[in-house]
Amino acid sequence: MDSATLLARITDYASRPNPYPLYAELREAGPVVQQADGSYLIGTYHEIAALLHDPRMSADPRTRGEVAHKPPFLRLDDPEHHRLRTLAMRPFGPPHSPRRVDSMRGEIDRITRELLQSFEAGRQIDIVDDFAYPLPVTVICRLLGVPREDEPLFRAWSDALVAAADVRPEDDSAEEDKAGDQARMEMGGYLVNLAEQRRGDPGDDMLSAFVNEPDPALRLTQEELAETAVLLLIAGHETTVNLITNGSLTLLRHPEQLDRLRREPELLPRAVEELLRYEPPVHMRGRVPHADIDVAGTEIPQHASVILALASGNRDPMRFDEPDRFDPARPDNQHLGFGSGIHLCYGGPLARIEAQAALGALLPHLGGASLVEDPPPYRQNAMLRGPRHLPIQL
Amino acid sequence: MLESEGGGTAEDVVEMRTVVDLTRCQGYAQCVFLAPEVFELHGEEGLLYATAVPDDQAERVRQAAAACPVQAILLGEEVSSGAR
Repeated sequence: MDSATLLARITDYASRPNPYPLYAELREAGPVVQQADGSYLIGTYHEIAALLHDPRMSADPRTRGEVAHKPPFLRLDDPEHHRLRTLAMRPFGPPHSPRRVDSMRGEIDRITRELLQSFEAGRQIDIVDDFAYPLPVTVICRLLGVPREDEPLFRAWSDALVAAADVRPEDDSAEEDKAGDQARMEMGGYLVNLAEQRRGDPGDDMLSAFVNEPDPALRLTQEELAETAVLLLIAGHETTVNLITNGSLTLLRHPEQLDRLRREPELLPRAVEELLRYEPPVHMRGRVPHADIDVAGTEIPQHASVILALASGNRDPMRFDEPDRFDPARPDNQHLGFGSGIHLCYGGPLARIEAQAALGALLPHLGGASLVEDPPPYRQNAMLRGPRHLPIQL
Repeated sequence: MLESEGGGTAEDVVEMRTVVDLTRCQGYAQCVFLAPEVFELHGEEGLLYATAVPDDQAERVRQAAAACPVQAILLGEEVSSGAR
Protein backbone atom coordinates (compact mmCIF):
# COMPACT_ATOMS: atom_id res chain seq x y z
CA MET A 1 0.00 0.00 0.00
CA ASP A 2 0.98 3.67 -0.36
CA SER A 3 3.54 4.53 2.30
CA ALA A 4 2.30 8.17 2.30
CA THR A 5 -0.84 6.96 4.07
CA LEU A 6 1.02 5.23 6.90
CA LEU A 7 0.29 7.91 9.52
CA ALA A 8 -3.41 7.86 8.59
CA ARG A 9 -3.45 4.07 8.83
CA ILE A 10 -1.50 3.95 12.10
CA THR A 11 -3.75 6.52 13.77
CA ASP A 12 -6.93 4.86 12.42
CA TYR A 13 -8.72 3.41 15.44
CA ALA A 14 -8.98 0.03 13.66
CA SER A 15 -5.17 -0.30 13.99
CA ARG A 16 -5.11 0.22 17.74
CA PRO A 17 -5.00 -3.49 18.77
CA ASN A 18 -1.95 -4.18 16.58
CA PRO A 19 -0.08 -1.30 14.92
CA TYR A 20 3.16 -3.30 14.72
CA PRO A 21 2.80 -4.59 11.12
CA LEU A 22 2.34 -0.95 10.06
CA TYR A 23 5.52 -0.03 11.92
CA ALA A 24 7.35 -2.79 10.03
CA GLU A 25 6.02 -1.32 6.78
CA LEU A 26 7.21 2.13 7.95
CA ARG A 27 10.76 0.90 8.66
CA GLU A 28 10.81 -0.89 5.32
CA ALA A 29 9.76 2.27 3.45
CA GLY A 30 12.06 4.52 5.54
CA PRO A 31 14.01 5.65 7.37
CA VAL A 32 12.16 8.90 6.52
CA VAL A 33 8.69 8.58 4.99
CA GLN A 34 6.87 11.72 3.90
CA GLN A 35 3.13 11.62 4.49
CA ALA A 36 0.24 12.87 2.38
CA ASP A 37 -0.28 15.75 4.84
CA GLY A 38 3.34 16.94 4.41
CA SER A 39 4.64 15.55 7.70
CA TYR A 40 7.65 13.22 7.99
CA LEU A 41 7.28 9.91 9.78
CA ILE A 42 10.35 8.08 11.13
CA GLY A 43 10.29 4.58 12.64
CA THR A 44 13.88 3.33 12.70
CA TYR A 45 15.74 3.14 16.02
CA HIS A 46 19.02 4.83 15.18
CA GLU A 47 17.43 7.78 13.36
CA ILE A 48 14.90 8.31 16.18
CA ALA A 49 17.61 8.13 18.87
CA ALA A 50 19.84 10.58 16.95
CA LEU A 51 16.98 13.07 16.47
CA LEU A 52 15.99 12.89 20.15
CA HIS A 53 19.55 14.04 20.93
CA ASP A 54 19.70 16.68 18.16
CA PRO A 55 19.50 20.29 19.43
CA ARG A 56 18.18 21.38 16.01
CA MET A 57 14.96 19.49 16.75
CA SER A 58 12.39 21.55 18.64
CA ALA A 59 9.79 20.05 20.95
CA ASP A 60 8.02 23.43 21.19
CA PRO A 61 4.77 23.76 19.20
CA ARG A 62 5.40 27.54 19.00
CA THR A 63 8.28 26.77 16.58
CA ARG A 64 5.61 26.12 13.93
CA GLY A 65 3.35 28.87 15.29
CA GLU A 66 0.86 26.26 16.46
CA VAL A 67 0.05 27.70 19.88
CA ALA A 68 0.60 31.08 21.47
CA HIS A 69 0.91 30.18 25.16
CA LYS A 70 4.09 28.88 26.74
CA PRO A 71 3.77 25.07 27.04
CA PRO A 72 4.99 22.93 29.96
CA PHE A 73 8.62 21.72 29.98
CA LEU A 74 7.75 18.54 28.08
CA ARG A 75 7.28 20.77 25.04
CA LEU A 76 9.95 23.43 25.63
CA ASP A 77 13.49 23.61 24.27
CA ASP A 78 16.63 24.41 26.23
CA PRO A 79 17.41 26.67 27.99
CA GLU A 80 13.76 27.26 29.05
CA HIS A 81 13.20 23.51 29.28
CA HIS A 82 16.25 22.97 31.47
CA ARG A 83 15.28 25.72 33.90
CA LEU A 84 11.70 24.51 34.36
CA ARG A 85 12.49 20.79 34.45
CA THR A 86 15.20 21.42 37.05
CA LEU A 87 12.79 23.48 39.20
CA ALA A 88 10.08 20.82 38.85
CA MET A 89 12.64 18.16 39.81
CA ARG A 90 13.57 19.83 43.12
CA PRO A 91 10.79 18.25 45.23
CA PHE A 92 10.77 15.00 43.18
CA GLY A 93 14.27 13.71 42.48
CA PRO A 94 18.03 14.10 42.66
CA PRO A 95 20.08 16.07 43.35
CA HIS A 96 17.71 17.95 45.72
CA SER A 97 15.26 15.16 46.74
CA PRO A 98 17.00 11.87 45.88
CA ARG A 99 14.93 9.77 48.32
CA ARG A 100 11.46 11.03 47.44
CA VAL A 101 10.45 8.34 44.95
CA ASP A 102 12.17 5.53 46.88
CA SER A 103 10.32 6.59 50.03
CA MET A 104 6.96 5.96 48.31
CA ARG A 105 7.56 2.21 47.90
CA GLY A 106 5.77 1.28 51.13
CA GLU A 107 2.72 3.29 50.28
CA ILE A 108 2.63 1.97 46.70
CA ASP A 109 2.78 -1.60 48.05
CA ARG A 110 -0.02 -0.83 50.51
CA ILE A 111 -2.31 0.68 47.82
CA THR A 112 -1.54 -2.31 45.58
CA ARG A 113 -2.47 -4.81 48.31
CA GLU A 114 -5.72 -2.97 49.03
CA LEU A 115 -6.73 -3.03 45.38
CA LEU A 116 -5.95 -6.74 45.11
CA GLN A 117 -8.07 -7.70 48.13
CA SER A 118 -11.14 -8.22 45.99
CA PHE A 119 -9.27 -10.37 43.43
CA GLU A 120 -10.73 -13.76 44.37
CA ALA A 121 -10.42 -16.87 42.20
CA GLY A 122 -13.49 -17.33 40.00
CA ARG A 123 -14.26 -13.60 39.75
CA GLN A 124 -14.16 -11.54 36.57
CA ILE A 125 -12.34 -8.27 37.04
CA ASP A 126 -11.26 -5.37 34.84
CA ILE A 127 -7.51 -4.84 35.14
CA VAL A 128 -7.94 -1.20 34.04
CA ASP A 129 -10.78 0.04 36.26
CA ASP A 130 -10.09 -2.24 39.23
CA PHE A 131 -6.30 -1.99 39.36
CA ALA A 132 -4.12 -0.28 36.74
CA TYR A 133 -5.99 3.06 36.83
CA PRO A 134 -6.68 3.54 40.56
CA LEU A 135 -3.09 2.76 41.62
CA PRO A 136 -1.24 5.54 39.74
CA VAL A 137 -4.09 8.02 40.33
CA THR A 138 -3.90 7.49 44.08
CA VAL A 139 -0.10 7.76 44.00
CA ILE A 140 0.06 10.96 41.92
CA CYS A 141 -2.66 12.56 44.08
CA ARG A 142 -0.62 11.83 47.21
CA LEU A 143 2.58 13.07 45.62
CA LEU A 144 1.18 16.30 44.20
CA GLY A 145 -1.25 17.00 47.03
CA VAL A 146 -4.49 16.67 45.05
CA PRO A 147 -7.63 15.31 46.81
CA ARG A 148 -8.30 11.78 45.53
CA GLU A 149 -12.06 12.42 45.61
CA ASP A 150 -11.63 15.11 42.92
CA GLU A 151 -10.73 12.39 40.40
CA PRO A 152 -13.97 12.70 38.35
CA LEU A 153 -13.23 16.42 37.97
CA PHE A 154 -9.65 16.13 36.73
CA ARG A 155 -10.36 12.99 34.73
CA ALA A 156 -12.67 14.98 32.45
CA TRP A 157 -10.05 17.71 31.97
CA SER A 158 -7.35 15.11 31.42
CA ASP A 159 -9.43 13.29 28.78
CA ALA A 160 -9.92 16.55 26.86
CA LEU A 161 -6.23 17.49 27.06
CA VAL A 162 -4.99 14.08 26.01
CA ALA A 163 -7.41 14.00 23.06
CA ALA A 164 -6.15 17.42 21.92
CA ALA A 165 -2.51 16.29 22.16
CA ASP A 166 -2.99 13.07 20.16
CA VAL A 167 -1.13 12.56 16.87
CA ARG A 168 -3.36 12.67 13.79
CA PRO A 169 -2.91 13.50 10.12
CA GLU A 170 -3.23 17.23 10.07
CA ASP A 171 -5.21 18.64 11.00
CA ASP A 172 -8.90 18.30 11.55
CA SER A 173 -8.58 18.90 15.27
CA ALA A 174 -9.95 22.45 15.78
CA GLU A 175 -12.71 21.15 18.03
CA GLU A 176 -10.36 19.03 20.17
CA ASP A 177 -7.93 21.95 20.42
CA LYS A 178 -10.64 24.28 21.70
CA ALA A 179 -11.82 21.75 24.29
CA GLY A 180 -8.19 21.11 25.26
CA ASP A 181 -7.50 24.83 25.80
CA GLN A 182 -10.59 25.16 27.94
CA ALA A 183 -9.60 22.10 30.01
CA ARG A 184 -6.03 23.35 30.41
CA MET A 185 -7.24 26.70 31.75
CA GLU A 186 -9.69 25.11 34.19
CA MET A 187 -7.32 22.41 35.39
CA GLY A 188 -4.48 24.93 35.78
CA GLY A 189 -6.74 27.22 37.82
CA TYR A 190 -7.85 24.31 39.99
CA LEU A 191 -4.26 23.22 40.72
CA VAL A 192 -2.98 26.77 41.38
CA ASN A 193 -5.86 27.23 43.81
CA LEU A 194 -4.92 24.01 45.63
CA ALA A 195 -1.30 25.20 45.81
CA GLU A 196 -2.33 28.63 47.12
CA GLN A 197 -4.23 26.99 49.97
CA ARG A 198 -0.87 25.58 51.13
CA ARG A 199 1.04 28.86 50.98
CA GLY A 200 2.48 29.34 54.47
CA ASP A 201 0.95 26.03 55.57
CA PRO A 202 2.86 23.37 53.61
CA GLY A 203 2.21 19.64 53.59
CA ASP A 204 4.78 17.11 52.32
CA ASP A 205 3.36 17.30 48.77
CA MET A 206 4.87 18.82 45.63
CA LEU A 207 2.33 21.64 45.22
CA SER A 208 3.27 22.77 48.74
CA ALA A 209 6.95 22.65 47.86
CA PHE A 210 6.43 24.72 44.68
CA VAL A 211 4.38 27.44 46.33
CA ASN A 212 6.55 27.71 49.48
CA GLU A 213 9.95 27.86 47.76
CA PRO A 214 11.90 30.46 49.79
CA ASP A 215 14.48 31.34 47.09
CA PRO A 216 12.90 33.76 44.58
CA ALA A 217 15.32 32.51 41.90
CA LEU A 218 13.87 29.00 42.26
CA ARG A 219 10.19 29.96 42.21
CA LEU A 220 7.77 29.16 39.40
CA THR A 221 5.54 31.96 38.14
CA GLN A 222 1.83 31.31 38.55
CA GLU A 223 1.57 30.47 34.83
CA GLU A 224 4.54 28.06 35.07
CA LEU A 225 3.07 26.45 38.18
CA ALA A 226 -0.23 25.89 36.37
CA GLU A 227 1.43 24.36 33.29
CA THR A 228 3.79 22.19 35.35
CA ALA A 229 1.11 20.90 37.71
CA VAL A 230 -1.25 20.07 34.83
CA LEU A 231 1.54 18.17 33.08
CA LEU A 232 2.53 16.17 36.17
CA LEU A 233 -1.04 15.25 37.10
CA ILE A 234 -1.90 14.10 33.57
CA ALA A 235 1.39 12.35 32.84
CA GLY A 236 1.32 10.73 36.28
CA HIS A 237 -1.83 8.79 35.58
CA GLU A 238 -2.46 8.61 31.82
CA THR A 239 0.70 6.67 31.03
CA THR A 240 1.36 4.35 33.99
CA VAL A 241 -2.13 2.87 33.58
CA ASN A 242 -1.08 1.74 30.09
CA LEU A 243 2.23 0.31 31.31
CA ILE A 244 0.50 -1.83 33.95
CA THR A 245 -2.35 -2.85 31.64
CA ASN A 246 -0.14 -3.59 28.63
CA GLY A 247 2.10 -5.54 31.00
CA SER A 248 -0.76 -7.66 32.32
CA LEU A 249 -2.00 -8.32 28.77
CA THR A 250 1.48 -9.27 27.54
CA LEU A 251 2.05 -11.67 30.44
CA LEU A 252 -1.31 -13.34 29.87
CA ARG A 253 -0.43 -13.73 26.19
CA HIS A 254 2.92 -15.35 27.12
CA PRO A 255 2.11 -17.95 29.78
CA GLU A 256 5.59 -19.51 29.64
CA GLN A 257 7.17 -16.12 30.47
CA LEU A 258 4.54 -15.53 33.15
CA ASP A 259 5.52 -18.85 34.76
CA ARG A 260 9.17 -17.94 34.53
CA LEU A 261 8.60 -14.62 36.31
CA ARG A 262 6.65 -16.40 39.05
CA ARG A 263 9.65 -18.72 39.54
CA GLU A 264 12.28 -15.97 39.16
CA PRO A 265 10.79 -12.74 40.55
CA GLU A 266 14.26 -11.14 40.53
CA LEU A 267 13.74 -10.84 36.75
CA LEU A 268 10.88 -8.38 37.29
CA PRO A 269 12.91 -5.14 36.90
CA ARG A 270 14.21 -6.34 33.54
CA ALA A 271 10.76 -7.57 32.57
CA VAL A 272 9.38 -4.07 33.14
CA GLU A 273 12.10 -2.65 30.86
CA GLU A 274 11.18 -5.25 28.24
CA LEU A 275 7.51 -4.22 28.52
CA LEU A 276 8.58 -0.61 27.97
CA ARG A 277 10.22 -1.81 24.75
CA TYR A 278 7.68 -4.38 23.61
CA GLU A 279 4.39 -2.59 24.47
CA PRO A 280 5.29 1.00 25.42
CA PRO A 281 2.66 3.38 26.83
CA VAL A 282 3.79 6.22 24.54
CA HIS A 283 3.97 5.35 20.83
CA MET A 284 4.86 8.64 19.13
CA ARG A 285 6.35 12.07 19.79
CA GLY A 286 6.32 15.13 17.53
CA ARG A 287 9.29 17.39 16.76
CA VAL A 288 9.97 20.40 14.52
CA PRO A 289 13.38 21.13 12.99
CA HIS A 290 14.69 24.68 13.60
CA ALA A 291 16.69 24.37 10.34
CA ASP A 292 16.73 22.21 7.21
CA ILE A 293 18.18 18.87 8.27
CA ASP A 294 19.39 15.76 6.47
CA VAL A 295 18.22 12.47 7.92
CA ALA A 296 19.60 9.31 6.29
CA GLY A 297 19.78 11.07 2.91
CA THR A 298 16.36 12.74 3.07
CA GLU A 299 16.15 16.52 3.40
CA ILE A 300 13.57 17.60 5.98
CA PRO A 301 12.79 21.31 5.69
CA GLN A 302 12.81 23.79 8.56
CA HIS A 303 9.50 23.91 10.48
CA ALA A 304 8.18 20.66 9.00
CA SER A 305 6.19 18.36 11.26
CA VAL A 306 8.31 15.32 12.19
CA ILE A 307 6.75 12.36 13.97
CA LEU A 308 9.04 9.90 15.71
CA ALA A 309 7.40 6.49 16.13
CA LEU A 310 9.15 5.39 19.32
CA ALA A 311 7.20 2.12 19.46
CA SER A 312 8.47 1.28 15.98
CA GLY A 313 12.07 2.03 16.94
CA ASN A 314 11.62 -0.41 19.81
CA ARG A 315 10.85 -3.16 17.26
CA ASP A 316 13.65 -2.31 14.83
CA PRO A 317 15.60 -5.48 13.88
CA MET A 318 18.62 -3.27 13.09
CA ARG A 319 18.84 -2.60 16.83
CA PHE A 320 17.20 -5.54 18.67
CA ASP A 321 17.58 -9.27 18.07
CA GLU A 322 14.21 -10.87 17.40
CA PRO A 323 12.43 -7.61 18.21
CA ASP A 324 8.94 -9.13 18.06
CA ARG A 325 9.78 -11.63 20.80
CA PHE A 326 8.87 -10.70 24.41
CA ASP A 327 11.96 -11.65 26.42
CA PRO A 328 11.93 -10.55 30.09
CA ALA A 329 15.67 -11.33 30.36
CA ARG A 330 16.64 -9.44 27.18
CA PRO A 331 20.24 -8.15 27.40
CA ASP A 332 21.30 -4.71 26.12
CA ASN A 333 17.78 -3.32 26.26
CA GLN A 334 18.21 0.39 25.48
CA HIS A 335 14.57 0.88 24.59
CA LEU A 336 12.81 4.13 23.72
CA GLY A 337 9.90 3.48 26.10
CA PHE A 338 10.72 6.61 28.09
CA GLY A 339 12.22 8.47 25.13
CA SER A 340 15.87 9.55 25.22
CA GLY A 341 17.89 12.75 25.50
CA ILE A 342 16.90 15.86 27.43
CA HIS A 343 13.19 14.97 27.49
CA LEU A 344 13.70 11.46 28.91
CA CYS A 345 10.52 10.79 30.90
CA TYR A 346 10.53 12.91 34.07
CA GLY A 347 8.28 10.46 35.96
CA GLY A 348 9.92 7.28 34.66
CA PRO A 349 11.44 6.26 38.02
CA LEU A 350 8.03 6.49 39.71
CA ALA A 351 6.37 4.59 36.86
CA ARG A 352 8.99 1.82 37.17
CA ILE A 353 8.37 1.41 40.90
CA GLU A 354 4.60 1.40 40.38
CA ALA A 355 4.79 -1.15 37.54
CA GLN A 356 7.15 -3.42 39.48
CA ALA A 357 4.94 -3.30 42.57
CA ALA A 358 1.75 -3.76 40.56
CA LEU A 359 2.93 -6.59 38.32
CA GLY A 360 4.85 -8.29 41.13
CA ALA A 361 1.74 -8.37 43.32
CA LEU A 362 -0.47 -9.36 40.40
CA LEU A 363 1.70 -12.33 39.31
CA PRO A 364 0.24 -14.85 41.79
CA HIS A 365 -3.28 -13.94 40.60
CA LEU A 366 -2.45 -14.32 36.89
CA GLY A 367 -1.39 -17.95 37.07
CA GLY A 368 -4.89 -19.37 36.62
CA ALA A 369 -6.35 -16.30 34.92
CA SER A 370 -7.53 -15.98 31.33
CA LEU A 371 -8.35 -13.11 29.00
CA VAL A 372 -12.08 -12.62 28.47
CA GLU A 373 -11.49 -10.74 25.19
CA ASP A 374 -8.36 -10.78 23.05
CA PRO A 375 -7.73 -8.19 21.74
CA PRO A 376 -9.41 -6.10 24.43
CA PRO A 377 -11.20 -2.82 23.59
CA TYR A 378 -8.64 0.00 23.21
CA ARG A 379 -8.69 3.67 24.15
CA GLN A 380 -9.09 6.08 21.24
CA ASN A 381 -5.62 7.62 21.62
CA ALA A 382 -2.92 6.52 19.16
CA MET A 383 -0.04 8.29 20.91
CA LEU A 384 -0.87 7.10 24.44
CA ARG A 385 -1.90 3.59 23.45
CA GLY A 386 -3.49 1.10 25.80
CA PRO A 387 -6.67 -0.91 26.48
CA ARG A 388 -9.75 0.92 27.80
CA HIS A 389 -10.77 -2.27 29.60
CA LEU A 390 -8.95 -5.53 30.19
CA PRO A 391 -11.49 -8.02 31.52
CA ILE A 392 -9.94 -11.20 32.88
CA GLN A 393 -11.36 -14.29 34.52
CA LEU A 394 -9.47 -15.17 37.71
CA MET B 1 28.27 5.17 53.16
CA LEU B 2 29.63 6.14 49.78
CA GLU B 3 33.09 5.06 48.79
CA SER B 4 35.15 6.02 45.82
CA GLU B 5 36.63 2.57 45.60
CA GLY B 6 37.15 -0.77 47.26
CA GLY B 7 34.89 -3.14 49.13
CA GLY B 8 33.57 -3.72 52.63
CA THR B 9 35.43 -4.39 55.84
CA ALA B 10 36.19 -7.89 57.12
CA GLU B 11 32.90 -7.96 59.06
CA ASP B 12 30.78 -7.13 56.04
CA VAL B 13 29.30 -9.90 53.99
CA VAL B 14 29.20 -8.29 50.59
CA GLU B 15 27.40 -10.28 47.98
CA MET B 16 27.04 -7.80 45.20
CA ARG B 17 29.55 -5.42 43.69
CA THR B 18 28.79 -2.75 41.17
CA VAL B 19 30.82 -0.83 38.61
CA VAL B 20 29.51 2.05 36.53
CA ASP B 21 31.08 2.63 33.13
CA LEU B 22 31.46 6.39 33.50
CA THR B 23 32.38 6.78 29.84
CA ARG B 24 28.81 5.67 29.06
CA CYS B 25 27.02 7.42 31.95
CA GLN B 26 25.08 10.47 30.74
CA GLY B 27 23.81 11.62 34.11
CA TYR B 28 20.17 10.58 33.62
CA ALA B 29 20.21 9.70 37.37
CA GLN B 30 17.65 6.92 37.08
CA CYS B 31 19.84 4.84 39.43
CA VAL B 32 19.78 7.60 42.07
CA PHE B 33 15.97 7.56 42.19
CA LEU B 34 15.85 3.79 42.56
CA ALA B 35 18.80 3.18 44.93
CA PRO B 36 19.62 6.49 46.65
CA GLU B 37 21.71 4.77 49.36
CA VAL B 38 24.13 3.44 46.73
CA PHE B 39 24.13 6.06 43.95
CA GLU B 40 24.42 9.80 44.50
CA LEU B 41 24.59 12.83 42.24
CA HIS B 42 27.51 15.18 42.72
CA GLY B 43 26.18 18.44 41.30
CA GLU B 44 23.66 18.00 38.52
CA GLU B 45 25.27 15.17 36.57
CA GLY B 46 28.37 13.73 38.26
CA LEU B 47 27.77 10.26 39.70
CA LEU B 48 29.21 8.85 42.93
CA TYR B 49 28.47 5.28 43.99
CA ALA B 50 29.36 2.51 46.43
CA THR B 51 31.16 -0.38 44.74
CA ALA B 52 30.22 -2.77 47.56
CA VAL B 53 26.45 -3.13 47.73
CA PRO B 54 24.97 -3.88 51.17
CA ASP B 55 22.64 -6.87 51.22
CA ASP B 56 19.54 -4.81 51.91
CA GLN B 57 20.23 -2.68 48.83
CA ALA B 58 20.79 -5.52 46.35
CA GLU B 59 17.21 -5.52 44.98
CA ARG B 60 17.27 -1.74 44.55
CA VAL B 61 20.61 -1.94 42.72
CA ARG B 62 19.24 -4.64 40.41
CA GLN B 63 16.38 -2.26 39.59
CA ALA B 64 18.85 0.58 39.01
CA ALA B 65 21.00 -1.52 36.66
CA ALA B 66 17.94 -2.60 34.66
CA ALA B 67 16.69 0.99 34.45
CA CYS B 68 19.90 2.67 33.25
CA PRO B 69 19.00 4.21 29.86
CA VAL B 70 22.58 3.68 28.61
CA GLN B 71 23.09 0.32 30.37
CA ALA B 72 26.23 1.61 32.10
CA ILE B 73 25.80 -0.26 35.41
CA LEU B 74 27.58 -3.61 35.71
CA LEU B 75 26.79 -6.00 38.54
CA GLY B 76 28.90 -8.83 39.87
CA GLU B 77 28.48 -11.24 42.72
CA GLU B 78 31.39 -11.60 45.11
CA VAL B 79 31.83 -13.08 48.56
CA SER B 80 33.88 -10.83 50.86
CA SER B 81 36.62 -11.92 53.24
CA GLY B 82 34.11 -11.86 56.10
CA ALA B 83 32.15 -14.72 54.59
CA ARG B 84 35.05 -16.91 53.55
